[in-house]
Amino acid sequence: MTATVGAPRIELSQVERTYGRAGAEQVHALRGVDLTIAPGEYLSVEGPSGCGKTTLLNLLGLLDAPTSGEVRWDGRSVGSRTDRERARLRLTGVGFIFQRFYLLPTLTAFENVELPMRALRTPRAERQRRATALLEEVGLGPRQRAYPHQLSGGEEQRVAVARALANRPGLLLADEPTGELDSQNATGVMELLDRVRADRDATLVVVTHNPEVAARAGRHLALLDGRISADRRGA
Amino acid sequence: MRPFRRRGALRHARLQQVLAIAAIATAVALPVVLLSVGGGVSQHELSDLENAGYQIVVSASGEHGISDGHALTQRILAIPSVAAVSPVLSVAVDLFAGTGGATPLLAEGVIPGQFLATLGAAEADLFPRPLPLGDPTDAIHFANGSYDGPATEDVLVSSPLADADHIAVGTTVLLSPGANRSLGVSYTVTGIFGVAPTALGPTGAFAAVLPLSDLQLLTGYATGSGGTLIDAVDSIEVSLAGAAETEPAVLDQVRAEIQALVPYYGVSSLDQEAQQLQQASSVLTGFYLALSSVALIVGLLFLALVLVRRVESGRRAIGIRRALGLPRSWIAGGILEDGLVLAAAGSVIGVAGGYLIVAGLARWGSAAVAEAARLAVFVPSTLALLAAAVVVLSLVASAAAVRAALRVEITEALR
Repeated sequence: MTATVGAPRIELSQVERTYGRAGAEQVHALRGVDLTIAPGEYLSVEGPSGCGKTTLLNLLGLLDAPTSGEVRWDGRSVGSRTDRERARLRLTGVGFIFQRFYLLPTLTAFENVELPMRALRTPRAERQRRATALLEEVGLGPRQRAYPHQLSGGEEQRVAVARALANRPGLLLADEPTGELDSQNATGVMELLDRVRADRDATLVVVTHNPEVAARAGRHLALLDGRISADRRGA
Repeated sequence: MRPFRRRGALRHARLQQVLAIAAIATAVALPVVLLSVGGGVSQHELSDLENAGYQIVVSASGEHGISDGHALTQRILAIPSVAAVSPVLSVAVDLFAGTGGATPLLAEGVIPGQFLATLGAAEADLFPRPLPLGDPTDAIHFANGSYDGPATEDVLVSSPLADADHIAVGTTVLLSPGANRSLGVSYTVTGIFGVAPTALGPTGAFAAVLPLSDLQLLTGYATGSGGTLIDAVDSIEVSLAGAAETEPAVLDQVRAEIQALVPYYGVSSLDQEAQQLQQASSVLTGFYLALSSVALIVGLLFLALVLVRRVESGRRAIGIRRALGLPRSWIAGGILEDGLVLAAAGSVIGVAGGYLIVAGLARWGSAAVAEAARLAVFVPSTLALLAAAVVVLSLVASAAAVRAALRVEITEALR
C-alpha cells in the first residue's frame, strides 16, 4: 500500500504562533521556528508542557495557521491554500493520532475507520475491505462492531491508528499517542506505528514526554518556550 | 463510569429529539385540524347551496321575522319565471307517542305543494311523493288568515324519530309547543321521510314536517296579541324556471322584482350567498393559517434550539470530523439532514395526529363539534404542501446550527 498523497516535504520558516490579545494576556506558543522535515522521516518532538509541541503538530497537520512566518508543503505555502484545499489535504495526506484517541462515540470501531474513506467517496466495497483489513492489522478484527465505550484504552488507540491510516496518508502525526496507556499497551501501539510507518514509507512525527517512545525516532527535536532548543539525529 | 456517562448523554440527546419531534408534530397537527374541519364545513355549506332546489331566498333579521307568509307566497308566485315558492317556519316542539314521554324535535311548517319543488334532487328523494299532508295549498285551513278552515292534522316524521319512538304510518301522536302533554294537538302520521346522514347531525335527526298553518297555530306564530294576523315564517325559498334558472341577468331581474315587493326583507340569490360564504371561508382560512404559522414558528424555533444545542454539546465531535479533513459541506449536510429527519418525522406524526384528533372529536366531541368534525375533509395536496413547507422551514431552522457548527475552531474543540 502506498499513500494517496506521498510523504510531503514540509518547511517552516520563521513561524510564530501567538494566542490572545496583544499585551500581558498574549501567549507566544511558537517563536521564530525554522524547520524542514524530509519525506519519510521519523521525528520525535520533546519538551516540557506548554513549550509549543502540540501547536507545532497542529501547524504541521494544517489544523492551525501561523500568526506569522510560513509553512510550506512540497514547496507551496499552506497560507495560499483555501480552507477547502487544506481540509482536502488533511483528508488525503495527514493521519492524526491523538492522546485522547478522539474516536466518535456514536460510531463503531469499523465506522470510525471507514469515516475518512466515506468523506473521500471511496467505493463502498473498497471501504469495507480496507477498514476490515486495517482493523485486522491493528489486532481488532473481532472488535469491529464495538463502540468506543466498549473498548479498552489500548484498543481505542489502535482504532485511532487504523483510522489515521484509512486514506493512506504520507504524514502521520501522533500527539502523545501513549499518554493514556499502560506500558504494555504503549509498547504495542508504538510497535504498530513503527511497523506501519516502515511499511508505508510515511513521515511520522511523534510528540511525547516518554523517552522510550522518543528513542524509536531517527531525529529528535526539543522545544523550549516556543523555540527549537535542540535538533539531533540518530537513535 | 464512562460508559454510563455516555449512555446518559445519548438518552439526553434522544429526549431532545423526541421533544423536537413532539413540538413539530403539535405545530403540524393544529393546521391539519383547523384546515380540515374548517374546509370541510365550508365545503359542506357550499355543497348545500349548490344542491339546493331554489335560487332565491327571502329572509328577515330575527327569529320568524317574515309576516304574511301565505299572502307573500302568492304575490311572489305571480311573478313571471317563478316556478315555486316555499315559505318555511322552523320551531322546536315536543312529540308524545302513546304513553311515552316528550321527544324534542325540530318541526318545519310548509305549504305541501310548494315544498318538494324547492328541494334539491337528493333531498327531495328522501320524501314520499306527493307529500301526504292533505291540502297541497294549505289554503283551506289558513282560510285567508282566519285559520277557521278544517285542519288536515297530518304530519310526516323522520325515520330516526320513527325508529326511536316506534312510530309507523297511521300512528296518532301529540305535538306540543312545550314539554306539556295537555297543550298537545293530535296528529296522524301520514308518512316517514329519510334523513341525509351528513346534512343533519344527531340533534337535527329528529324532525317533523307539517302544514305551515298547523305549526303556526300550534306555536303561536299565526296571530299575535289581540288576534292580529302574523302569519310568520323564517324564510321563503323561491325556485325559478326557464332562463331565470341559469342566466344571472334574468335571475337578478327576478330578484329585484321580489325585492320591490318586500323592501324591508333581505332578498338574495344563492350565488350571492355562495360568494359571501366563500369570502367568509377565505377569511377563516387566513385566520387558521395565521394561527398555524404561529404554532409552526414556535415548533421550528424549538427545532432550531435543539439543533444548536446539539452542535454545542457536539463541538468535540465536529472538531474531530474537521480535523480528519471532512469538508464543511459534510458537517453542514449532517446538521441539515438531522433537521430534515426531525421535521419529516414531526410532520408525519403531526398529520397522523391531526387526523386522529379530528376522528376523536367526531366520536367524543360535543354534538356541534362532533358534527363539524364529521364534515372534515383531508385534502392530500394541502397536507403534502403543509409537510413540504415544514421541511423547507426546517432547513431555515437548521441554518443557525449550521452556522454555529462551521464556526467551531478545530484546535479549540479538541483542547
